This record gives sequence, C-alpha cells and structure tokens, in this order.
Amino acid sequence: MEEEEAGVRRWLVDVAHWHPSPAQFDAVVALLPSHERPAIARFVSEDDRKRALVSRLLHYSLVHHVLRIPFRQINICRTPEGKPYLQKNGSALPNFNFNTSHQGDYVGIASEPLYLVGLDIVSVSKPHGETASEFISNFSSYLTHHEWNCIVRAGTPSQVLTEFYRYWCLKEAFVKAIGAGVGFGLRRIEFHHAHWTDISIHIDGEVSNKWRFWLFNLDEMHLASIAKGHPEDAVSSYKKTLSNATVAEEQLHSALEGPEEAFSLWTVEQLTQLLE
Amino acid sequence: MAATMSAISAKAAGGYRTAPALVSWKGSRAQGRSLISMAAAPRSLRLVSLRTPRFRVYAAKAETVNKVMEIVKQQLALGAEAAAAVTPESKFTDLGADSLDTVEIVMALEEEFNITVEEDNAQNITTIQEAADLIDKLVA
Repeated sequence: MEEEEAGVRRWLVDVAHWHPSPAQFDAVVALLPSHERPAIARFVSEDDRKRALVSRLLHYSLVHHVLRIPFRQINICRTPEGKPYLQKNGSALPNFNFNTSHQGDYVGIASEPLYLVGLDIVSVSKPHGETASEFISNFSSYLTHHEWNCIVRAGTPSQVLTEFYRYWCLKEAFVKAIGAGVGFGLRRIEFHHAHWTDISIHIDGEVSNKWRFWLFNLDEMHLASIAKGHPEDAVSSYKKTLSNATVAEEQLHSALEGPEEAFSLWTVEQLTQLLE
Repeated sequence: MAATMSAISAKAAGGYRTAPALVSWKGSRAQGRSLISMAAAPRSLRLVSLRTPRFRVYAAKAETVNKVMEIVKQQLALGAEAAAAVTPESKFTDLGADSLDTVEIVMALEEEFNITVEEDNAQNITTIQEAADLIDKLVA
C-alpha cells in the first residue's frame, strides 16, 4: 500500500438498522472512555444518543484500526471550536486527522494521513410547515449570489431543495475540515462545479487550487460531501494539533487529482469487534 | 421598615390573593395587580423583589421563555419524550438541533418577536433562556 493511501478511510454506519436494547446500548458506551459518556447522555432523544454514541465509536475504532494504538491509550480531545483530534499522535502519520458527521439514518467518518478532511452528511428532508422556497430563504445570507441563483433555478421544489442541500453540505465539510467554529462566514466561500463533478472552492473571491470536493448520494434521502485540502488552511487552534502543516505542493496535487475513496458500510457489531 | 408584600396585599384585599400586590419603586403601594408579562405591560409598571429592601427591576421572562420553548419544540419536531425534557436551560444541540435548525430557530424567533438578531448575537444563543434574554433586551 502506498504511503499516501495509508490512513485514508471513509466509513459509514446505517444507524436506522441498529436497534439496541438499553443493555446493548450501555455495553457499547462502556467500551468508550468515561469522559465521553456525558456527551452522549446529554441528548434528550434516543436517536440523537444513538448517533452520538456511534459517532464516538467511529472515532476510537478507526484510530485503533488505522494506527494500531491500543484503544485504551487513545486520547481524543477537542479544540475550543469543538473539533476532535488525536492527542499524542506519535504515529507514522503525523497529520492524521478525521471528521465525523451524522444526520438521519447515517453516521460517517473520514480520515486522511496528510491533508485535511471534512465530512458532512445531510438528510434531504422536506421541511415541515413551509415550502422549499420558504425553507431555503432562511439560509440566503449564507449563500453567495451565484450559488443562490443556481439553487433557485434548479427546477422543481424538490430539485431546488436538493440543490440547496448540496451547497450547504459542501460548505459544512469545508468549515469542519479546517476546524472553524460556528462563526465562520459561509458567504465567504463559493462552490463551482461541472454537473457536481470537479467541485472547487473560491474563498473570499479567489479560486483555491488547494482544495477538492466530492459529493455522494448515499441513498435517495441522504447526501455526503468530502472536503480535502491543504493543512495550511486549518484555523490556528486546529493547526496546532497537526505535526506537519507545511506540505509539498507536488504531493498535494497528486492527492487531489486522484480518484476519491468510496465509502464502506460498517455495522456497530463490526466496529465493536475491532475494539476487542 | 415596610411591611411584607403579603401583609400589604392581605390588608388591601381583606383576604387571600393569588398574586402579590405590586409596589412602585417610590414605595407607595399600587393597587393589587396580578403578575403580567412585560410584553403587555406599560413601561411604568415595575416588578419588585419580595426579598430585598431595595427595589430592583426584573423583566418578566416567563412568557418569553414559554414562547421560545414552543417555537423550538416546533422547529425541532420533538417527540413527546423529548418535549417533556425541555427546560429553559436546554441547549439547542442537546435537543437535537443541527446547524440548519439553529439558523431556522433564530429566523423563527425574529419573525415571532419582530426583531433582528445580529450574526454575532445569534452565535451566542445556545439555550432557550439565552434566546429569551436576548429577545427581552431587544423588545425593551
């Protein structure tokens, strides 16, 4: 396996098909460090607790699987903005970074050894109590004029809604990749594409050739986006967690031009088996 | 010093009242009125602490909080189990709000209360109480 492919993962769990009994749920919680438990228990809805648990299970099982660190020694912390990172990463992959996302039926994780990676999953659900038009107007200040025009011209209300979710999903993936918090001005970034391939980003009006994006249809109701780019664009609080923020340009181009890794589907049972 | 509120109110009514009489900051007793929200009350009406000798002003947030709670529950389409667990201190994220929901909640609050929330203020609203506090500040 080439150096660059080591540490690249795209994992997905369909939590809609996981129906743990309270005892089974607690057994999985018990596998994780105790400091993660309040973060799971704080959610009032059972579905949210399930997603929170699987999200954290993905963190630990992926790090264990890829870096071979005994899982009780895995120390995952968060930046002030809330981005998880691996502390004391003494592995051969100094920039190893990962990102999880969950919505609807899916929880996913993406990891990269050198470049920043961001993942966002959206459920393309019809808004309740308002039309697609009314719904997307809530977010007009987060979209550029160009993006807004593309969205409203997408066709039927359903197509307009999906188009909106594509742009939103991409923006989220980028913001999450760089480790920015809720304050990031989403209107500063604009996405360009050719039928949703060759997706690129303009930041503050300038095209960036250090980032690439991909969109996936997980199923009829869910989209996922992957953002991959140069570690120098990480926000300072997150950049500190990386060992190698300066990456050679040639390496970067080959990684960004290559085909994107596909998602693999895992069950909770398979993930817990990794930890045993 | 002054008699307790309940004593004043009992004196005035000659009997039990469900709500304390309100006393203006100057110390003179106003006619007994039930507690009403600031949104409906005229500016001159002040609510007074029953505990301290000094008169302090508290904005009535109960109605605002309840309205915010209603809007949040609706926006997040909370089931019965989750809805029962909602308190003013509940964080939106703990109720299951994602980034889209938090934007919509702020929009819905702007519409309901006819206010404009600046982006940096919007980011600081993480609980129902914080939203209610900001709203009361903006409508005052």
